[in-house]
Amino acid sequence: MKKLNLVKLMGFMFALFTSLPSNAAPQKEAPLPDTFAEHKIVLQISDNNPFKQTLVLNVAGNLQRYYGADNVDIEVVAFGPGLRLLFDGNVNTPRIKILMDSGVRFSACENTIKNMAKKLGHRPELQEGVTNVAAGAGRILQLNAAGWQVLKP
Amino acid sequence: MKTITQFNKTGLILAITTVLCSTQVQAANWLMLQGTEKNDQAPRAKVWGFAQIDYQQTDDTKLKAGPGIGQSAAFNQLAPQLTNASGFNIKRARIGARGANFPLDKDVNYFLMMEFGNNGITTGGKASQGQLTDASITINKIPGARIRAGLFKTPGSEESFKGIPVFNYVNFTNGTGRLLVERFFTNSSGDTARKSSVGAVRDTGVQIFDSFKTGEWETSYAAMFGNGNGLALQDNDNDKDTYLYLSTEKAFGKSKGPRSHSMKFYAWSHNGKRTIDGTSGHKLDRAGLGATYFDGKYRAAAEYITADGMIYNGTTGARTPANGGTFSVLKDQKADAYQIDLGYRVMPNMELNARYDVLNSATDSNGDGGATAKRVFTTTTLGAQYFFNKKTSVRLNYEIRNIDAPNTPASSAVHTILDSIDNRLSAQLMMVF
Repeated sequence: MKKLNLVKLMGFMFALFTSLPSNAAPQKEAPLPDTFAEHKIVLQISDNNPFKQTLVLNVAGNLQRYYGADNVDIEVVAFGPGLRLLFDGNVNTPRIKILMDSGVRFSACENTIKNMAKKLGHRPELQEGVTNVAAGAGRILQLNAAGWQVLKP
Repeated sequence: MKTITQFNKTGLILAITTVLCSTQVQAANWLMLQGTEKNDQAPRAKVWGFAQIDYQQTDDTKLKAGPGIGQSAAFNQLAPQLTNASGFNIKRARIGARGANFPLDKDVNYFLMMEFGNNGITTGGKASQGQLTDASITINKIPGARIRAGLFKTPGSEESFKGIPVFNYVNFTNGTGRLLVERFFTNSSGDTARKSSVGAVRDTGVQIFDSFKTGEWETSYAAMFGNGNGLALQDNDNDKDTYLYLSTEKAFGKSKGPRSHSMKFYAWSHNGKRTIDGTSGHKLDRAGLGATYFDGKYRAAAEYITADGMIYNGTTGARTPANGGTFSVLKDQKADAYQIDLGYRVMPNMELNARYDVLNSATDSNGDGGATAKRVFTTTTLGAQYFFNKKTSVRLNYEIRNIDAPNTPASSAVHTILDSIDNRLSAQLMMVF
């Protein structure tokens, strides 16, 4: 699982390039989490499917139970249509709050936010505690390069 | 002083807003389940629907008296055609789409559905197998006052308001079937057919509604203003109907959806006016209250309904239209009905059911037809349901049916006619997708 297969890599690269603004200067990467956890996992949610929203939260909770909350570092990165998971008022908000309280981080793609803001006419409001990252796909690659295993439920 | 008053007002508004915090309801709350979508989770279009394949049978006992003696009795024939006493029927076959048309905006959702089965919706007048039953848009912009507009189920009796996929019997009770599932006729007597689809407890109009969580209880309200013309997309007169609904429900545990575990109390009313015999303004009022309980093993429901104004009165002499029977409506009468419904899960996927229902029709001795028009319909239904999975089930019902005419002289042929009614056996296979 540690090595991405070629297809996944191409998918990530495609998502990365399409989510970056054209002619934009490289953006500063978000800092890497400071963790001593034995297992480090980044969960991707980029899908419009509502069941995937529930699934990615189930997986985060199950991984914490399986490894123990202190032994696993989990970051959920949302971009594209999957960003709706982190909208303020999402039906899963109570579950997200519980996961945050137990140490799971949630990152939102700034590029997606900007694109959605154009369609909505205003920036979508995100839940409290969500961290914005410049590019969701880029954040996944950054974490993966630093040793985080990538899961896309 | 002015500042203090303003502060108090602001505080009061904040307090009310906090207490009556609009919530995403998870219990069997039909207002919310049918009229809203889950915040930021609804797809652009979720295609869904269900089908019910029935087999029903009576002994086809012929009329024992009256002008139709020896002929088929309408109440022993299968609706809606009333031409045979046994047979298979694709009773309901509905397909629709619902969701958030612009998924980024959780404040707007919609619900569309069509009926392709053979029932009162797809028969009568110009109705066809391909009848629009639901077309509504909900705007969730105002906290505490969601707005739903279009054609949709009216808030009311649990039996008629609940989603058909979780209806626990094959046939409606007498009260719901004759008082709430409205039939439309041109004249109050002499018609050989309905002029349009049955109302299917739906109306075209606008509804304000919402649900609020206070502790473990969810309290919901709805106020609707509609045409009062059933599934017709346009009104046929200048009279409008009003519907009011209030419920409070305590959810047990974390079960979700239409079969969630809860206890609910509700009350409702419907006030309308109809056009018949070429004149408008004929009253059609209904009201009711009831309670439901389901904890996963035991299920119970009870409901009481009253009716004032127009009441469906069956066919003359209980004859079928094919044999000269004509439909009649009592334009100014009263009725009441009640039911008690019990269920017990002998296994997680098998439920035994028993339901007792009574309809006292035409109870006003000063109303149309006088005292002798009164009929008492009593049915005891024994049933069993088996759930192959969450979306596929089969149910078997046996209805012990009786009709009395308590105010009619003992020598009247009416008693002999009513004595012709048979018990009814029915089976239904249902799947939801």
